[in-house]
Amino acid sequence: MKKGSFAKKRIYPVIFMLIVTVAFISVTTVVYTFTKDTIKLNETLRLKQAVLSAAGVRLSKDPAKIEKTFDERVDEVTGRDGKVRYYAIRGEGTSEIESYVVIRTGAGLWGEITAGVGFDSALETFRGLEIIDQNETPGLGGRIDEAWFKEQFAGKRPPLSHVPEGDKASEHQFQAITGATYSTEAIQKLVNDALEYARAEIKVGNE
Amino acid sequence: MNNFKAKKVLLEDLGKNNPVFIQVLGICSTLAVTNVLRNTVVMSAGLIFVTALSNLTVSLVRNVMPSRIRMMVETLIIACYVIIVDIVLKAYMPEVSRQLGPYVGLIITNCIIMGRAEAFALSNPPGLSFIDGVASGIGYSYVLLVIAFIRELMGSGSVWGHHVLGDWWTNWSIMVMAPGAFFMLAVFIWIVKGMMFRRQEGSS
Repeated sequence: MKKGSFAKKRIYPVIFMLIVTVAFISVTTVVYTFTKDTIKLNETLRLKQAVLSAAGVRLSKDPAKIEKTFDERVDEVTGRDGKVRYYAIRGEGTSEIESYVVIRTGAGLWGEITAGVGFDSALETFRGLEIIDQNETPGLGGRIDEAWFKEQFAGKRPPLSHVPEGDKASEHQFQAITGATYSTEAIQKLVNDALEYARAEIKVGNE
Repeated sequence: MNNFKAKKVLLEDLGKNNPVFIQVLGICSTLAVTNVLRNTVVMSAGLIFVTALSNLTVSLVRNVMPSRIRMMVETLIIACYVIIVDIVLKAYMPEVSRQLGPYVGLIITNCIIMGRAEAFALSNPPGLSFIDGVASGIGYSYVLLVIAFIRELMGSGSVWGHHVLGDWWTNWSIMVMAPGAFFMLAVFIWIVKGMMFRRQEGSS
């Protein structure tokens, strides 16, 4: 091997990789910086929409209307650490609390599932379920985000268990998703745990 | 760049060198994102974008890139484009981004992209590589779209989320599950290859 080839064989690849890395990361950073605010806005809007929808409030898709309803009817209750513990939703045009929503995260099949779970003011029945973030298999577990699945939780009483998809469910049951047992069970655990969390949190908050 | 060569590359990637049914690459995503047509379209668009640009970029740097670290460089280039697709989807199509979940990120590991970068872009000029990238992407996409159309129609009775089959239709649940994709892909390969062999026999 010739002498001067050391630089070419050892150093050059390192420098080349360095340059390529810096160049591409810069490009990604620029794209990220330009879209950061839009993404943040989308996420906040999504959260507000999820809270209202979990509380059983029917909404249009118009962002301005969602913001308005949220500002008018929802109180964010924060804990000592400044983080939101739960949301209290007032009835339309009244100051009375109509329902509570908690945001909970649980383990799914591939990643975490984050959902808003709504309860009536006595914390006895579910008002609704809204999936905020999930990484379940599209078409199988991903169907936890379908309207029929989420809507069936309204009016149900905990503790919940599941019956096969298409079967008749009692007030303590919900229909599972065929082919997605794990995701179904993840949701079952998430909603049941959400109630326990809500009972612990909200009682403390009221006293 | 001569047009004849470009046209040949384009046609080969769509037909007798098709990434899905001839090279049998990218099968993971073929099985995963074809149960609903809408997701398939977004996935295909993302893939075409990434293959085309990564092919172009790899081809541009191919003469200065040390061959020992080419895999690292290729992966980096591909990952960057995929992250850009992911960010743009999150910003401008949040609904679709939510539905696709992890699959956008998984474009990085789609073997078609790496395969084309290795097999084509490293030894061809940028323009031609770009065309090869687009063509491979389209070759992948149309197979997926056909499979997705049939799976969504038979599995959910709908096309693009709209119900088209009436109440008389009983959904074939198996079509939206993973085995449905295996069956569909196998049938697709069977039909296409059958046609290809017949044409070969006819011409010889």
